[in-house]
Amino acid sequence: MNSMPSDSASMSFVDRVVVPGDHVLDLTGMANQTIKLGAGLRQDGDAISVMKAGKLRISKPNKYWVESSHKRYVPCVEDTVLGIVVDSKFDNFLVDIKAPMLGLLPVLAFEGGTRRNIPKFEIGTLLYVRVVKANNTMNPELSCMDETGKAAEFGPLKDGYMFETSTGLARMLLSSPPCPILEALGKSLSYEIAIGLNGRVWVNAASPSTVILVSNAIMNSEFLSAAQQKIMVEKLMKRLQ
Amino acid sequence: MEQRLANTWQMTVNERKFIEMALAADLRVDDRGPFDYRPCTITFGRHKLKYLQFSFTNRVGGSSEVQLGETHVMSYVTSQLVQPYRDRPNEGTLSIFTEFSPMADPAFEAGRPGEFAIELGRIVDRGLRESGAVDMESLCVVVGKLVWSIRVDLHILDNGGNLIDAANIAALASLLTFRRPECTLGGDDNHELIIHDIEDREPLPLIIHHLPVAVTFAVFGEGNIMVIDPSYKEEAVMGGRMTITMNSNGDICAVQKAGIGISSSVIIRCLEICAVKAAEITSKINHANLLDSQMESFNDGRSIQYPNFHPVDVAIQDNLPDVIMNKKQIENLTGHLAALPLDALDRNSNKSGAVVVGTNTRAKFENNQARDGVPFYSPSNWDPYPRKLCSCLARSSLKLSGLPEDVEEDKVNTTQSVKVECGLEHTKGASSSRALETASEYTTVEATSQYIKAPKTLKDAVKIQNRKMRK
Repeated sequence: MNSMPSDSASMSFVDRVVVPGDHVLDLTGMANQTIKLGAGLRQDGDAISVMKAGKLRISKPNKYWVESSHKRYVPCVEDTVLGIVVDSKFDNFLVDIKAPMLGLLPVLAFEGGTRRNIPKFEIGTLLYVRVVKANNTMNPELSCMDETGKAAEFGPLKDGYMFETSTGLARMLLSSPPCPILEALGKSLSYEIAIGLNGRVWVNAASPSTVILVSNAIMNSEFLSAAQQKIMVEKLMKRLQ
Repeated sequence: MEQRLANTWQMTVNERKFIEMALAADLRVDDRGPFDYRPCTITFGRHKLKYLQFSFTNRVGGSSEVQLGETHVMSYVTSQLVQPYRDRPNEGTLSIFTEFSPMADPAFEAGRPGEFAIELGRIVDRGLRESGAVDMESLCVVVGKLVWSIRVDLHILDNGGNLIDAANIAALASLLTFRRPECTLGGDDNHELIIHDIEDREPLPLIIHHLPVAVTFAVFGEGNIMVIDPSYKEEAVMGGRMTITMNSNGDICAVQKAGIGISSSVIIRCLEICAVKAAEITSKINHANLLDSQMESFNDGRSIQYPNFHPVDVAIQDNLPDVIMNKKQIENLTGHLAALPLDALDRNSNKSGAVVVGTNTRAKFENNQARDGVPFYSPSNWDPYPRKLCSCLARSSLKLSGLPEDVEEDKVNTTQSVKVECGLEHTKGASSSRALETASEYTTVEATSQYIKAPKTLKDAVKIQNRKMRK
């Protein structure tokens, strides 16, 4: 798929599936312009070529990146993820975040955390954490505080049910404006949800049947369009009544 | 250590509590009823023979794949002629082998089968063999001397929970679709054993009296909550497990129970539910088998090539040459069998020293049934998947060289077949091979055919290892 060099042609690649080797933008026609390249794109002389398979996205005016969906997670700084405590050491908790390496959560990385009030997490505790440091040679470092040092909803999640999805679905659920499935479910049911960019989703509601319904609806909605998602939710609601 | 922690699957406290709480309220997390099975798909494997230039496709069957929700199991059935056990001289044998591939679950390790692998093999084995599902006496060929040994290999490809049921269904489906070559006693004095070529006589199915279906119940709570067909997460949470193997007549073939105690009233209730489920699954297996055999008869292989199958992807099916053994040769064979070291009897090892069984060869070109009296290859060299030698070629080469056929077990693609015209004429009209020319053609053909070695496959590596371990 060789692109004809022109700015309008690059717009035709946006939101379309691209594969490694595609040239999606030609720079000859654009002097004195800055283009910001995100994940999966690379400058090849006079053209921008794709390195990762996925959908090409643009954020006006000049940010381009390739988005793809995987079952495993590659840690990035400032991502919020759901981790499971696997072990606790003297100064770190070992937390599994579906990445190639276990994440390290310092025992002091909590609001008002000191050596005296280290939280006790048993193995299997589900945590909502933020990735502070991530590179592919070291274990990613996590934190239960935001940048200012406040707790801000981070920490252990109580009750509810957790299921795993792909990273693409997690991103779709986190998009703003809110994803159609979550909106449609929220119109008739009340539930609480935490979504990790590593593909883990936690749902809690008053009754188990609501939790089961919400989780199955979300798992089935990955490849449905907005309209189809709404129809599916309507059918589910009818079944309940 | 850290790497192993990173690679194992973790279950959260939240999930565990939620699953137990939901089950107490009669709800399952994948929205099933407590006695609902996941959707089950049964596929049968087609084993075809690419026969030189001709597209003979002969279905000898023998494999099936079962997908039960996320669980994926494959089963493969093969057969071999062996000496029977001394206390059961008129019965064939059936053996089940399991392979738990690490790609199915990070907890499975390659190499020695774990405890659960052995348990699964035992449950399937008990259901099939001890209930008399497969008729053993029909597998007898010569009483006390030769019987068919049926081997079922179960490969676990993906563990999504409830491997026992899926493996059992796969084993049953593959046994239903398996076909063995027909053997008759014939010849001059009715003492010669003829193992008919697949193209000459339709291979025979096994006689299966009933289908023992395994139904697994997972136990939760205090032993009062039971669900059928547990998924992977439910299995991680369950307190105990009970597998009941039952057939559609309501006969209980086997019961296996592990974990926390269950009261007898709960067990009786499970038996009643199992009767219903077993009938459902039996009809499903039979239906799938019927569809499959209808497909087979539509595509009966003399001249039609399966349109969707590319020759290179086809597994080669066994092509047993017709063989006649007179009485003396049979005795020689069994005598040799007794004297063979253990590993030579391993069906898969065909590199052990060639054992020449009997050197009486009689050339006969009489009527249709007569064949060259060739020395029968010993079981150590018997190979269900020979390269594509046509049977007449094999016979002639054996006759001339006096050596047992040296074939390798492999799944070779057809491009490596012998590129020689089969210039032999059968007096039987059925096959469509070409006219025989001269004996010299035999020799050239035989020379090329015997020394073409197929490339080594993974099986060869595994085989050598087996022999080393035994030694």
